[in-house]
Amino acid sequence: MTRADMTLLALLALVALLAYPAGGALAGVGGAGAVLVGPRGTTEVDLNRPGRYVVEGTVGEVVFEVAGGSLICVDSSCPDSVCVRSGRLAPGAPIICAPNGVYALDSGSPGGTLDAVSR
Amino acid sequence: MRSPDNHAATATATTALLLASATCLGYVETVLVPQSALPGARLGLANIAILLVLFTQGPARAAFVSIARVILVGLATGALMTPVSGFAFAGAICSWGAMVAVARWGGERFSVVGWSIAGSAAHVCGQILAATLLLGTTAPLLLFPISLALALLSGVATGLVARLLLSRLPSLSLSPA
Repeated sequence: MTRADMTLLALLALVALLAYPAGGALAGVGGAGAVLVGPRGTTEVDLNRPGRYVVEGTVGEVVFEVAGGSLICVDSSCPDSVCVRSGRLAPGAPIICAPNGVYALDSGSPGGTLDAVSR
Repeated sequence: MRSPDNHAATATATTALLLASATCLGYVETVLVPQSALPGARLGLANIAILLVLFTQGPARAAFVSIARVILVGLATGALMTPVSGFAFAGAICSWGAMVAVARWGGERFSVVGWSIAGSAAHVCGQILAATLLLGTTAPLLLFPISLALALLSGVATGLVARLLLSRLPSLSLSPA
């Protein structure tokens, strides 16, 4: 690697490092709620009440489950199933199923406010 | 000395070979390599072939291979015309733009590894931007720091592999842009 390569690498690593606290600040403090957002609306979820939530996406269904005070994505119709491997929902770590246009946010995160409630 | 016709034929054959390589690597990565939970965070194996095209054939052919690879892998996986391909196109275009910019304006100061690092970082930026636009929320931006950090690692790795291939396959470098 040349010196310019190393400089570019260090510069971009610095950007990633500086963006991390900025993301944390954006993420908010978190709470006992989450919102599930899909093409057809937004659903508020109480993380203290276990249950399954099916959100209709653009290519199929995305299934979320609340258990033990946290929310996870358990099934999705998307090709890569990146969302299913995303783990538990946390402040600063949304669960995103981009192909379906569906995502889950901690209620303290940006965009975690409700536009509409679907049932 | 090669005739212009021979030179054009060699360039076309090399481009076709690298397009096939990029498609195979992209398909193998999509189907066989376990995906990361982070959008845009991939090994980027296909970028090795794109780097080789950019180095040996120039930006225009690299753009062709990059876009054609996305279409072919999309056809093979059934993801063409879905949002997944949209992300792939966004990532490919941003990655190509960054690599060309570094190669053109960085001159001799940057090696293929530097091109790869720039391309990998731009790939993540493109994909997260596409996800942000598609979802209409800033939520994907929360994943940017960790996705970028992982992209830098994969960028270094693919750049080193491309550099190794260029040194071991001198026939690829016979027709520099």
